[in-house]
Amino acid sequence: MRYGAAQGGKSGELTLRSAEFRAAREDGWIKLDRMVTRVEDGGIGVLSASESEEITLLYRSAVSSLSVARNIALDRNMLLYLENLTLRAYLVVYGPRSGMSGSMAEFFRRGWPRAVRSVRRQLAVIALVFFVGAAAGFMIVRADVENFNLFVSERMSQGRGPDSTREELLGGEIFAPWKGFTEMFVVFANSLFRHNTMVGILCFGLGFMLGVPTIILIASNGASLGAFLALHSDKGLALDFICWLSIHGVTEIAALLLMGAAGLLVAQNIIFPGRLSRLESLARAGHSAAVAAIGCIAMFFIAGIIEGGFRQLIANTAGRLVFAAVTGLLWACYFIFAGGKRRDDSR
Amino acid sequence: MTTADRVSELLDGVKRPVREITSPEGVKLNVQTASRWERMTAFLLDVTFLSLAIILIYSVGLVLFFTRLNLSIGLTFISFVAFVVRNMYFLHFELAWQGRTPGKKICGIRVVSRNGGELTPTALIARNLMRDVEFFLPMTLFLSLGEQSGWSSLAELGWTIALTALPFFNRDRMRAGDIIAGTIVIKMPKRTLLDDLASAPRQRGEAGYSFTPAQLAVYGAFELQVLEELLRRKQTPRVDSILSDVCAKICRNIGVEEAVPPQNVRKFLNDFYASERDMLEHGQLFGLYKDDKNSPDRKI
Repeated sequence: MRYGAAQGGKSGELTLRSAEFRAAREDGWIKLDRMVTRVEDGGIGVLSASESEEITLLYRSAVSSLSVARNIALDRNMLLYLENLTLRAYLVVYGPRSGMSGSMAEFFRRGWPRAVRSVRRQLAVIALVFFVGAAAGFMIVRADVENFNLFVSERMSQGRGPDSTREELLGGEIFAPWKGFTEMFVVFANSLFRHNTMVGILCFGLGFMLGVPTIILIASNGASLGAFLALHSDKGLALDFICWLSIHGVTEIAALLLMGAAGLLVAQNIIFPGRLSRLESLARAGHSAAVAAIGCIAMFFIAGIIEGGFRQLIANTAGRLVFAAVTGLLWACYFIFAGGKRRDDSR
Repeated sequence: MTTADRVSELLDGVKRPVREITSPEGVKLNVQTASRWERMTAFLLDVTFLSLAIILIYSVGLVLFFTRLNLSIGLTFISFVAFVVRNMYFLHFELAWQGRTPGKKICGIRVVSRNGGELTPTALIARNLMRDVEFFLPMTLFLSLGEQSGWSSLAELGWTIALTALPFFNRDRMRAGDIIAGTIVIKMPKRTLLDDLASAPRQRGEAGYSFTPAQLAVYGAFELQVLEELLRRKQTPRVDSILSDVCAKICRNIGVEEAVPPQNVRKFLNDFYASERDMLEHGQLFGLYKDDKNSPDRKI
């Protein structure tokens, strides 16, 4: 037996099995290639409904072509092309299907409340840390008002301190004058939102460093809250201060604690990966942690608007208390009941 | 290492770490992880685009608000828009373009799921939330150096530098966001399907070269694919001289006495390639695989 072209045949041409294989399937590959290129250039939206169905079928047949080709063909260009095409098509078929708005709707309806429920244990720990910090701050400042400056930086106190009088605190802070709709609702609310969001993102991201910075950050935030409370109770303004704070604080502190809890979940999976490998366990936890955390940005936005605007609009303590209770109740209901059955896993 | 990788390494001198991901259909796909250099370039490009966008927002906004509205509202509105753009830029593009941002697209790299599953929006959210801690936080820390006491800022800086340098400490060059999200960044060149060399049309009645099984048994799949790559190169004097060297060497190794005239070198090699591939593929059908000239037939 001889291999080669000179042995006769119809036109002296050698037909390889792999070449026949290719000739029979080539059209499908090229069609798939064109579709994938279109999606790569214009996003998944360029495909019509029937085309999205077709691309899945073409992808499956390219996958099977690849497995066959690996066994019967030695044509390097074809093998590499097929592998590349399959990979590109795989990324289209299994890539993110929905854009920003579709993902958002699904997120608020189900993904976020479920993810929040999945970090409830971490949330309990973080809340404990926060309240221990607050209690510590309160006691220390209560013992000596001069300690206030230990917990609160100058930038944060904005002139409030041991020397402030009751009247200053009441007039300049708790019942500060209304500066006009846009100034409060737009300007002030916005700067609060941006600042709080950055702090929250830090709380989450620092979970990656084994959670130590997260806990420190949360505890020190708690401590400065406690210090403020002690300062006000020193002047007999404890209740007014609590209401002034909780009208937005319910939302804001909840968001901050949630971010911290998500960071703690990440840290927990680095330290105790369980049966999975560390990387695998981190990748799994990372998903629910990230979902829980990103929703908090919306909470910060709402908190910013309440703090910037509504707080000074509702200029009496009882009204603020009712407002705070209602928002707290709404958040609790949302996180406990939204998104269907109780599930530990967001996926 | 697959034959294809050995060929690329020999001919182009490229050696990329390859990672295998398994598609949901159970087919293993080899992907090349993107180099740190490519990722840095992509990121710098993105930061440039982002800064340009923000500068644009500020200048358009300022012009608009200076003339129409009061300044502080204008500034707030603009900084809110800029804040949204800055935080959503990466996420938006990675969602809309299957794991690519403009910078990544230019560099030919993209984000994929590490275990071969679907690339979910939550994974993209996770990896982009971490970006703030990995890059924007060290930047702010760096800019605020000297404001705090020396030791604490030094500790913070060291910690964040360690975090930022994470891609240098793992094989898949994952940054912290990748680790959390379960993603990797891969290099993906686009390949085109070229004509099959073995079925190149031949002029009618023209005699081809033929080879005996003993002659063809000298080489294996590796040599076959190197030959294919060489034959696919653009015709230049340099490539021609390489080809005639290869031709002479093949003749020597398989015992072809008569010299191949220079104008027939390509034809000879083409025919040899087709016959060799026919035989090796034929062997593969029966479960015999010959990796290269030095290795014996391997049963698969």
